[in-house]
Amino acid sequence: MNTSGSKFQRSPRLERLWKRSTDLSKSGRRNVYVDNPEFLVYHWSGHSAGFSPATGEMALSDDQRINLGDHNCRVDIGKDFPWIAEMPSRKEGFEYSAANWARDYVFFLDHSPAEVYPDETIVSEFHWQLDEARKFVYPEEVTELGFELRQLGAGGTSLAHTCPDLSIGLAKGWTGLLADVEASRDKWARYGNRKRTEYLEALAEVTKAIIRYTGRHADRALELAAAEEDQEQKARYERIAANMRQIEKGAPETFEQAVQWIQLFQVVERINGHGNGYGRLDLLLIDFYRRDLEAGRITREEARDLLAELYLKYGGNYFSFGGRDREGKDVTNEVSWIGLEAYDMLGGYNHLGVMWHEDMDPAYYTYACDVVTRHGCGVPTLVNYDVMRDSELYSGYSEEDAWNVSYSGCQWYCSVGSEYSDHDLNSFVLPVPMQRAMKIAEEQNTESFEEFWKIYTREVRRTAEALAEFKNRVYKWQDRVWPEMVTTLCMKDTVEKGLDVTSIGGPHNAFTSVNVLGVPNVVDSLYAMKKVIFEEKRYTMAELNEAIRNNWKDQEVMRQVMLNQEKFGNDLDGVDEIYVRVAENIRDTLEAQRNIKGFHFRASLFQYMGHTYAGPMLGATPDGRLAEEPIAHGCNPMHGRNTQGITATAKSLLKVPFREYQGGSLQIEMQPKFFDGKENKGSYIEKFSRAFMKQGGIQINFNVIDLEKLKKAVDDPTNPEYADIVVKVTGYSAHFVVMDHEFRKEFVQRVNYESV
Amino acid sequence: MNKGLVFDFHRGTTHDGPGMRTTVFFKGCPLHCHWCHNPESICPEKELWWDEKKCIGCMTCVNGCPAQALKAEPGGIRIDRELCRKCYRCADNCPAKAMSVAGTEWDVEALVKEACKDRMFFESFDGGVTVSGGEPALQPDFLEEFLKALKAEGIHTALDTSGFAKREVYERVYPYVDTFLYDIKFRDETLHRQYTGVSNRRILDNLRFLADKIRRKKDRAIWIRTPLIPGATASEENIRQIGEWIQKEILDVIDRWELCAFNNVCRDKYRKLGKAWEYAETPLMTEKEVQKLADAARPYAGELLVVSGLTAKVQGEEGSGN
Repeated sequence: MNTSGSKFQRSPRLERLWKRSTDLSKSGRRNVYVDNPEFLVYHWSGHSAGFSPATGEMALSDDQRINLGDHNCRVDIGKDFPWIAEMPSRKEGFEYSAANWARDYVFFLDHSPAEVYPDETIVSEFHWQLDEARKFVYPEEVTELGFELRQLGAGGTSLAHTCPDLSIGLAKGWTGLLADVEASRDKWARYGNRKRTEYLEALAEVTKAIIRYTGRHADRALELAAAEEDQEQKARYERIAANMRQIEKGAPETFEQAVQWIQLFQVVERINGHGNGYGRLDLLLIDFYRRDLEAGRITREEARDLLAELYLKYGGNYFSFGGRDREGKDVTNEVSWIGLEAYDMLGGYNHLGVMWHEDMDPAYYTYACDVVTRHGCGVPTLVNYDVMRDSELYSGYSEEDAWNVSYSGCQWYCSVGSEYSDHDLNSFVLPVPMQRAMKIAEEQNTESFEEFWKIYTREVRRTAEALAEFKNRVYKWQDRVWPEMVTTLCMKDTVEKGLDVTSIGGPHNAFTSVNVLGVPNVVDSLYAMKKVIFEEKRYTMAELNEAIRNNWKDQEVMRQVMLNQEKFGNDLDGVDEIYVRVAENIRDTLEAQRNIKGFHFRASLFQYMGHTYAGPMLGATPDGRLAEEPIAHGCNPMHGRNTQGITATAKSLLKVPFREYQGGSLQIEMQPKFFDGKENKGSYIEKFSRAFMKQGGIQINFNVIDLEKLKKAVDDPTNPEYADIVVKVTGYSAHFVVMDHEFRKEFVQRVNYESV
Repeated sequence: MNKGLVFDFHRGTTHDGPGMRTTVFFKGCPLHCHWCHNPESICPEKELWWDEKKCIGCMTCVNGCPAQALKAEPGGIRIDRELCRKCYRCADNCPAKAMSVAGTEWDVEALVKEACKDRMFFESFDGGVTVSGGEPALQPDFLEEFLKALKAEGIHTALDTSGFAKREVYERVYPYVDTFLYDIKFRDETLHRQYTGVSNRRILDNLRFLADKIRRKKDRAIWIRTPLIPGATASEENIRQIGEWIQKEILDVIDRWELCAFNNVCRDKYRKLGKAWEYAETPLMTEKEVQKLADAARPYAGELLVVSGLTAKVQGEEGSGN
């Protein structure tokens, strides 16, 4: 929430750009949709193979699909892609192949308008994604496994949050990349490898389409310049044309052109159908900035304005700042500052991350904490660089790949240019195998908790094995169904190898990370069963199963007994010991699964949204939860069960070493009252997060929200008073009232730290 | 080994001394302040209390009481404290934890471990452990041992005291306390007696004694705290009188004088104990009222004056805690 002003004044021009971008968000024109609640819980909808296409034949009506809120750069104009019937796959025939996909992409991009708007320097936006015009579904042999897997409590969709290495493209430009593609194509033709030659030929066509798209922006800007009477605006159009012309012909030469190139890359990549992380902005831009500064081509303020434009244009960017370099030294530079200042000037939603480490410029981290508290929108996300890097080393990334890790949005991080991130959308619904284990324990009259634990772990393994089988079936098809050719252009070695980033053997690393949903509920449930069913023997498993089946009807005493056992998140040794066991077990079980890309599965202790909808699907749970209640958010304690304050919750979370997992963020919703009597809010956040991360915490999502106001906004979304409220929903931020009603409802139930 | 009776812990607090702290609340208090925010702190023994919000009306407690001390009445479960044999079976068996016992016995070692759970945050925030109450000095042996053990662990300690205890206790604990949080509620002895049940003479004498020690060694900090209670302490006259006293007697040794605005968030505690509270319906003070008192205090303490606590929302204005 924008509780107080920015440190930097927006120029009237930026103010107008800010208004346009914000209005697009608030009017719901940047929304991201998913097909159904199953997608959120199992990360697989059984309908489309990605997010929910907003238009086209796969689009669902508003009452079917679920609105995640505004975090797309796509600008909805409320109608289908006009040339949909002309798409090559429709006219000439659809087939599962990279070449067929590329023909569609080329046609699609060639028919995407090149737009330039008044006041902007950084241009390019889009209104349709390819999955609205080309069918994005897997063949039946994959989907049938998906439905079976869902029964076992897991699912997955492979996309998003890969970090291409934009430094490759910034150095070479589109033309340089094209030259590389063509050289590699010729090489593979010489070797006689038809498949790779064909792939590279298709990739060359994709690159050429991007170059045309770039050039069309120059044409459009010149056209506008010719008709423009206002001299300042005319000059701006001409400047855009010159930038685009340069980028069309070669590599970006100035800071401004580099920023424009990044925006273009994001657009032509995201037009695929989903977003990615775009790496470490301070590392990407520092040389451009220094050169321009020395040459007197730019001022600090101009650089700040350009980055602000980039944020407004994309509508929430996935960049990170800080971290360490190859030698382990702090990376923080002038662009780190300018990038954060640009956000400070704008406020609102975004997805920037600051990668803390103990040697980070303390003034910079202080500023980051000041920004996150002053704006109260959870931006920047505070993440721990060393734990992210160490988790990659732990998993087996090379040191050369691991140092260049970047926060890439939500709870994800990715090794820049050397990893295909299949992280965002794999889900393991941990209560499901537990529920199976409870039934088996009933049938077998299981007497002790340790015996029950064996059954539980066996069932967890069963789901994990089924998940691996499903993902491997997906991987067999992935580069034919939906290759990610634009991303491939900026990966290490992929062009040389003639392999797509989604292909087996394409990227350096292709681990499968899995969001584990409901860890705290399973922990609380197992602990309560251990005490009440197995140790005190107050009820039998059969009685418990029966009570749960009936959503505790007429069993309020039993529910209270289960509910009033120790709960996770209060720094209590007994129940937290179960947390450690549950976490280690799912970690080991997933690590034992191998994908056909040659990498193992990794456990993430965070699942971003499924908790909102999982309740009724799972029914009641033995932790005393009613079916209609949401389940816990990631590895944060169940709503209302952490009674000992944030420090206790943080300490509970920290009982597992996060480098052995792929993320697990601490989500903190605070009310402004929390800060009463604290002279400096930023310093509070800073000291708290430093202590947390020093002990191995990986990520903190902070919200500062006025709960009373938010509660009113849940059912009054059209009231203009609430239009500006931005919250960090999970890993991403969004305008509160734009989100689905269920999300709003769940959000206000989260523990709110009002006072200490 | 000594056992201490503790009724609560607050972790992550930033109001009870420097930095972020864990506050340990000792049970038992010789004062009976009308506005007391911790009514369960007064009795120096364990006490049963009952939470209507948690109770599911299952009657387990009533039916299981061997002394028939519990009755279900239209207003809830009534505890007959005369009949109660303090077996606490009702609390043990309550599925909803609606019936529970205020007060837990701790030995020093376990209490130190519990109180130091947030050590990582103490370090980051330059905080530590605060002993509060009740009146911790009512358990002098345990208090001394506990503070000593905390110091042995290298923990910063604060003692929140009413000042109403034998001087000897302050002498004993002095070596192990880094910061004293010391209440002055009224300057006027009659009013003090009227609202707290005891004279303030001993309190002010003890404060002078501590101030003398600090003056000599300058190795301890002392914060004076005055609760602002509407209709009682929250008068300009009282604040000025306290200010004069502070200025005359101890201004050179104190680190701050804090005016803590009244709140009524403890209402439920009285209900749980089955006691009436005359402040249950007293509204928060307005920002303006608090400011007026702060203005009265400022001439005596200047920069050392701190105002804390919640103030009421006045129409059209944001409430603030400042």
